[in-house]
Amino acid sequence: MPASTHPAKLENLNDMLGFILDYARELGFDDKKIGKIRLAMEEILVNIISYSYPQTTGSIDIACSPTEGDKAGITIEVKDLGIPFNMLDKADPDTTLPMEERQIGGLGIFFAKQIMDVLTYERSGEANILRLTKYA
Amino acid sequence: MDLQYKMELNDGIARVTLAGSLDATNAGNFQEELKKLIGQKISKIVFMVKDLTYIASAGLRVMIFAKQRIGADVQVYLVGAQEAVLDVVKMSGLDTFMTIQKEFEG
Repeated sequence: MPASTHPAKLENLNDMLGFILDYARELGFDDKKIGKIRLAMEEILVNIISYSYPQTTGSIDIACSPTEGDKAGITIEVKDLGIPFNMLDKADPDTTLPMEERQIGGLGIFFAKQIMDVLTYERSGEANILRLTKYA
Repeated sequence: MDLQYKMELNDGIARVTLAGSLDATNAGNFQEELKKLIGQKISKIVFMVKDLTYIASAGLRVMIFAKQRIGADVQVYLVGAQEAVLDVVKMSGLDTFMTIQKEFEG
């Protein structure tokens, strides 16, 4: 089960995504699904980078594994030690609004929720833990 | 996974050609570039995206920003989008408010 730790900085985003997507490829995901997983994980990671460590710098731990249970898939666990923060609680944006009335935030998490099949959040001790599953 | 972009303004039509990935790591720079269009007389912003392979919400936000800052009556075009990019635009609901074309027809 591959795991890695990265500084929670935008300049490390592509390393983090590369780490996840390499494993998804190993599990046999096709290019189309890889593109979708990339989008979901970019949005999740950018939110952590932007909001989890407002006063300090910190890191993000990522662990990937085959999904447990009957269905084949990838489960990605993302952990940070920042402020308690459940991004999954954020209300979905109104996607029927025209461009001039759109708010800036919320679209990314909405994408992640549309793409991933299971998303859970847990505050455990000092850690925010997100677990995200995409079935093959 | 870099972004290449090119901008031309002709007769009120701003043609913005994008290639590569428009994501959180480069959307900020691209937005700075688009700011050059603020205050100009523009009727259409045409995003030429046939070589754009990936767009994230940060990229869509730049397009929203362009519309909001350059002018509410500016028409936004998305031309030549690959399936992967079009899927994301559709998921955002913004496809309803853009003119989507295979080739730019004006």
